[in-house]
Amino acid sequence: MSDRAIFAARRRANALAMALSVAATAFGLVWLFLILSTLVVSGLSGMSLSVFTEMTPPPNVQGGGLLNAIVGSLVMTAIGVGIGAPIGILAGTYMAEYGRHEKLTTVTRFVNDILLSAPSIIIGLFVYGAVVVPMGRFSAIAGALALAAIVIPVVVRTTENMLLLVPNQLREAAAALGMPRANIVLTVCWRAARAGVLTGLLLAIARVSGETAPLLFTALSNQFWSLDITSAMANLPVTINNFINNPDPNWKRLAWAGALVITAAVLGLNIVARALAARSKSR
Amino acid sequence: MSLVMHENPAAHAHGRRVKIDVRNVDFYYGDNRALKSITLPLFANSVTAFIGPSGCGKSTLLRVLNRMYDLYPGQRATGEALLDGRNILDPAVDVNFLRSRVGMVFQKPTPFPMSIYENIAFGIRLYEKLPRSELDARVEEALRGAALWEEVKDKLDASGQSLSGGQQQRLCIARTVAIRPEVILFDEPCSALDPISTAKVEELIEELQEDFTIAIVTHNMQQAARVSDTTAFMYLGELVEFGETQRMFAAPENKRTQDYITGRFG
Repeated sequence: MSDRAIFAARRRANALAMALSVAATAFGLVWLFLILSTLVVSGLSGMSLSVFTEMTPPPNVQGGGLLNAIVGSLVMTAIGVGIGAPIGILAGTYMAEYGRHEKLTTVTRFVNDILLSAPSIIIGLFVYGAVVVPMGRFSAIAGALALAAIVIPVVVRTTENMLLLVPNQLREAAAALGMPRANIVLTVCWRAARAGVLTGLLLAIARVSGETAPLLFTALSNQFWSLDITSAMANLPVTINNFINNPDPNWKRLAWAGALVITAAVLGLNIVARALAARSKSR
Repeated sequence: MSLVMHENPAAHAHGRRVKIDVRNVDFYYGDNRALKSITLPLFANSVTAFIGPSGCGKSTLLRVLNRMYDLYPGQRATGEALLDGRNILDPAVDVNFLRSRVGMVFQKPTPFPMSIYENIAFGIRLYEKLPRSELDARVEEALRGAALWEEVKDKLDASGQSLSGGQQQRLCIARTVAIRPEVILFDEPCSALDPISTAKVEELIEELQEDFTIAIVTHNMQQAARVSDTTAFMYLGELVEFGETQRMFAAPENKRTQDYITGRFG
């Protein structure tokens, strides 16, 4: 084959590979766009100020909102992250800083990976058996614990990975000043990994804020306003699940509005996470 | 110390005080013996250069002197390294206290992820509780000592990582000097720097020896010749030749030393 023919063949191969890649990307984007546009159109038509100011209505009653569900989601997510984040960060720190060569770390990482990919409904069932059954009722705290169990593996993973990215030279430099181990970890390594760990945390929050399955068996839902964490509490995902499966058009409208609220919140968290990651990279 | 004077002609020539007395030090990475019975003195207030091809153990020896190897399981040293008569390798020695007396500057500049000011103040705070004004003075003193003050005095709040490579290295030297150690170990401090920054760091080392005992590992023969008073040539974990720098570069006693410093191998 002449040189020219070789280059022509390579150009054709390149064009083909690029066409296939673009087609695959477009195929994925089309569905994403359809989902998001349906969500935005239906969500916006159901949106009104009362969504954020009024309680969930009983069936076949006009009006009402999602206030109790929104607040319930915020409460459970806050408690879940409040429990899960410190455990996850400390465990990840152990794995990357103290026990890097220990067997416990290898085992923990393996188990954590399983937990990371465990279907969330199984976590819901576990918390149902471990908390709801002994307590004798559904409760917000059970829901928060289920969410914590989802947060922990995500945070463990990102914390460990981010700390492993901190160059050893930095640890040695700190040690060379006579800095004790705890100081090195807390002030040098954590500071160097801060943006990455925070990003992981935000992604974990984004992940749990849309979880329905673990809340179905734990927090259940609640038609009314409640801040009592020992009893059932309304939350967005389960409310959406209940309302969308009902013929009442008012409920359907609110379900779409709730879905839009969650999506917007998750989008916001992702944007913040990206911005943080970009900022840490540019420094 | 008399032992060293007796064993070492160089010690006679200088008649100087020995700051660190290394005696029969062996070092192991797992089962791999990286240092073989090293014996040499580091003279107080002078610069000792360690030269030799990659893997000869010179950096390893440096890391013995502040027990940096302690950070890693499976690395161990035997023998004695006496810092003012006290054995550094004694497990009873508090490594953090040791490292406050024996500082280290690394091959790659390693500023901490914090402001220029904090990079210096951080180390000082580990040992002294100072009022803000005194701390400011100490930070300035350290930065002046590292010939960096004029370049950074207006941006002390900027990130240490925003400085150029040469400035970062001087920041690391300032950070080391700030906690007032007695010995400073330089592990190829200029290998990542351009010639101008290198000249600045060398000048600095020249000045620092008035207050500190200095050991420097370098791959640059001219650098060793320029900055050091005493030179140790190592090869395959052994100390081949040790002596006054001028004499060693002019008339090496060992054939291998001669081959190395004239660039015939290495």
